[in-house]
Amino acid sequence: MAAPRDEELTRGSQAALTRRDLVRKAGVGAFALTMFGGLADKAFPFYGPLRYKHKQLSGELKILQWAHFVPDYDKWLDNTYIKQWGEKNDVEVKIDHINNALLFSTASSQVAAQSGHDLFQFLSPPSSFQKQVIPVDDIIQEVTRKLGKMTDVGYRSTYNPKTKHYFGFPDNYVPDPIHYRRSLWFNAGIGPKTWEDVRKAAPILKRAGHPVGLGMSNEIDSNMFLFALLYCYGGFVQNAENRIVFNQGANRRGAIEALKLMRDIFRDGMSDEVFAWTAASNNQGFLAGRLSLAVNAISIARAAEATNPDLADDTWLAPIPRGPFMRMGNEHVMGVYVIWKFAKNKEAAKKFLVDQQLGYKEHFLQSKFYNFPVWTNAIKGGFDAIRKIAAQDTHKPLGKYTILTTIAQKYTTNVGFPGFSNAVIDEIFNRYLIPQMFAQVAQGKMSPEDAVSAADKEFRNIHRKWRNQGLV
Amino acid sequence: MEALRLVRRKLGTYLVVGPFAIVLAFPFYWMLVTMFKEDLDLYNQQHVPYIYNPLRWDFWSSATTKHVAFIFEHTNYPTWIANTVIVGGIVVGITLLFAMPAGYALARLAGRWGQSAGVGIFLVYLVPPTLLFLPLSRLVAELDLQDSLASLILVYPSFTIPFATWLLMGFFKTIPQELEDAALVDGCSRLKALRRVVFPISLPGILTVIIFSFSLCVNEFIYAFTFISSSEHRTISAGVPNDLIRGDVFFWQSLMAATLIPSIPLALLYNTFLDRFIKGFTGGAFR
Amino acid sequence: MGVVAAAEKQHRAWRDLLEERRFLAPALIAPAVIFMAVVVGVPFGWAIYLSLTDATGGSLTGHFVGFDNFVNAWDDANFRRALRNTLIFTFASQAIVLVCAAVLSHYLVRDFRGKWLLRLLIIMPWAAPVALSTIGWLWIFDSAFSVINWTLGHGLGLVDANNPPQWLGRPNLALWAIIIVHAWRILPFALVIFIAGLASIPTEVEDAAKIDGATGIKKLFYVTLPLQLPIALVALLFGIVFTAADLTVVFILTNGGPFNSTQMLTTWAFQIGINSGSLGEGAAISLYLFPLLVVVTILMLYFARRAQVT
Repeated sequence: MAAPRDEELTRGSQAALTRRDLVRKAGVGAFALTMFGGLADKAFPFYGPLRYKHKQLSGELKILQWAHFVPDYDKWLDNTYIKQWGEKNDVEVKIDHINNALLFSTASSQVAAQSGHDLFQFLSPPSSFQKQVIPVDDIIQEVTRKLGKMTDVGYRSTYNPKTKHYFGFPDNYVPDPIHYRRSLWFNAGIGPKTWEDVRKAAPILKRAGHPVGLGMSNEIDSNMFLFALLYCYGGFVQNAENRIVFNQGANRRGAIEALKLMRDIFRDGMSDEVFAWTAASNNQGFLAGRLSLAVNAISIARAAEATNPDLADDTWLAPIPRGPFMRMGNEHVMGVYVIWKFAKNKEAAKKFLVDQQLGYKEHFLQSKFYNFPVWTNAIKGGFDAIRKIAAQDTHKPLGKYTILTTIAQKYTTNVGFPGFSNAVIDEIFNRYLIPQMFAQVAQGKMSPEDAVSAADKEFRNIHRKWRNQGLV
Repeated sequence: MEALRLVRRKLGTYLVVGPFAIVLAFPFYWMLVTMFKEDLDLYNQQHVPYIYNPLRWDFWSSATTKHVAFIFEHTNYPTWIANTVIVGGIVVGITLLFAMPAGYALARLAGRWGQSAGVGIFLVYLVPPTLLFLPLSRLVAELDLQDSLASLILVYPSFTIPFATWLLMGFFKTIPQELEDAALVDGCSRLKALRRVVFPISLPGILTVIIFSFSLCVNEFIYAFTFISSSEHRTISAGVPNDLIRGDVFFWQSLMAATLIPSIPLALLYNTFLDRFIKGFTGGAFR
Repeated sequence: MGVVAAAEKQHRAWRDLLEERRFLAPALIAPAVIFMAVVVGVPFGWAIYLSLTDATGGSLTGHFVGFDNFVNAWDDANFRRALRNTLIFTFASQAIVLVCAAVLSHYLVRDFRGKWLLRLLIIMPWAAPVALSTIGWLWIFDSAFSVINWTLGHGLGLVDANNPPQWLGRPNLALWAIIIVHAWRILPFALVIFIAGLASIPTEVEDAAKIDGATGIKKLFYVTLPLQLPIALVALLFGIVFTAADLTVVFILTNGGPFNSTQMLTTWAFQIGINSGSLGEGAAISLYLFPLLVVVTILMLYFARRAQVT
């Protein structure tokens, strides 16, 4: 009984492959095939019934996630990893990649349709979708049993203390170092260790034709970094109990100081460009050799290695500068998978997540140290082992990537720290209220004091809304 | 004297039309220049952006076609173009099928009541599309059309039909009633008169509708993005930004090439039809 | 025999029915109306329902909250700014389009050498898929590698080459950048309509004007423009709808920045309803646009009819 089915299965997948190849090669001529081929897929599913009776999984697993900035990682994932996993578990896996700016609209549309992918990866904790997903407490416990505690950033990005459930599976996070041009800073006679240093060096660097690049725009890099700057100055939006405290006492004072700092750095050390940036702009400005500092995941350093080795050698990595209150950065992105309530293959989705986390070392390597596992012990030996792997990178200065371990270990937290990444924080984040506040002060449209009060008012409105929903 | 005035007049034409053409077409010229640039040339503020650096006598040796080749070799670009043509073509067909009878009926048969119905159909066009994609995606899922071109073929007529009905209504009004009456007297049925007399005369109008509807389909972006999730089923407006912007890296040269390549044939097509459309519009709405 | 006669009779009955206006008109209109009712009417009704609920995160149901969403939206300064921007954006870009189209069409109805090529260039912005051509503009306005800034700065020395104007970085400049890009894209469309309008002016009118001695500007104001008015209104009406309901240009060019100063109703609705997960409020924001457009349309149809009569 099993043999003919095997054959059927192979034939089916070959047919699928040929079709895809055809389409790519023959282009216009083959368009009809795409259409009708697509229909045929639906009518005659080739993955068929179980191959091995003792396996519990079957069917199809559809995953949607972003188009990774390292294209080779996606290639490996799509063509190697999921194929192997699928064979082992008798599941037909398919991954679709979409642009990260459209994750939310696609997710909304799938929820509205009550149909779509089984696994959906967001790049920020999707707390506003909590009512649409199944809690994943069981697999988090399973992974924790095997690998020990997960990092704090993962915990506070996906756990809701109000509902006492994990609404998403924290898979990976990306440390957010600063990139700086060692020679330029050396000439300026200052190192970017504290924010005071940056304030002092910024005018010197700008005069030398190499301004610092700290974005205050409606895009994710600015958003992450400016939230982090507030931590450094003790200007927290919410406290550990998830109450909005932005306008109170030390928080207010800290936020005002942070606003003043950015205003000074902007006036003396940057230009209007920082308000116009897309997520790509700081990369491009740095790669053009113009910027002397940028806060970004290692995509800048990696791109420099590919195109401009001299610049790459002069590009050093460091943790976010220290503020008067603390030294703390955000994750650059936070990969959180959710399983929709309407997902068709929840069991396969869960197994996929667990297996992916347990074998995360390969993902870490394939993504060129971009993705860090949320359970550090997924890489045997934890941070020490990660540091050793990173030390083997041959790009100059040698060992530059080891600092990522320190950053991940000590200086990376979740958006909304010291509280959780709840729906309130999510909405503040996605309305770009923090970049708006900083930009208004930097452009002189508002005093720091007024800006803090105005922002606080909006935060409270948002908080009230989500409290009514029972999510905070 | 007369000749001199003629020369001055011609010169005036070039002086006005020329600059407009330059300004309007500049972005495309810029795409053309950008798409052949090496990365190191592109991302260098010291470089003169209009040329390929370093400047050599055979300027071509400083340029590269690899970014253009990239979209053909490493993305589903040809498939996206094919999909766009399929969707656009079928939607145009559906649009005509619904809009021609409706436009005719509103123009000729329905009287005052037709006027208001015409305005009503136009008002549908004003429904803000921003969030309509959510309820629509439910509809698409109920019909089991998710991730297939059929979903777009279903939804796109929602914005082409009102537009087309409205335009066609105007065209049909301009056709002299006598022509139709003559056909009716000759023993044609009304539907036959419609097919034999009215539609052929309004060919320019129909052509106008075809071109406008097609361009509306090519431009659509949100539905194409949210209803379709696999790369090989995307249209060009969704596929290009999706696959050529990766995280915080824009593949500028490839993006420019991907924009310019479909624009040229479409512009040629529109321009060729322009003289016909002008005839079409002469009879257009409100007349 | 009897069967054939009956069939014949039935056939005749059908034909007569099809000749009957009262039947034929609804029969021809109904398919379009039913289609629109299902594909636009139902979702629109649903959007209205959503705007009255506290629905979140893509969910199509929620608890009824009355007009809270509309009130909350209005209370937000960013919303009022978006409303103002939408009006400025729509009317400014349409004004530019109308003026340019009027001037250009005046010349393009004539015949001259190279007309085909120049017209091809002029028509290109309309041929390019808007999502992609806007990405082209994003590159032209780039903060570091803008060709405009290079030309003005290094080339002509009109601006400081080291600190050039940031077209997308200052609220006013960014709003103008959006307006210009949109006008750029709509202009060919309006132009086509205008050329058609001019081509349709009967030659007798031209001749009469010539005999009366009306030339140049005088002719333009007293003869050509008034005759063009009905056609201009068509261009304007479609232009306004295209513009006010447009999401793509702003979404790609500034994403509402700098500091949410270039948000439009469409982008703000998207920001709140989709990206922030407050679907009900987002629906309410998008609905503010509808009455505005209806009022504009009715006004214009009224004027169009008046213009036609005179």
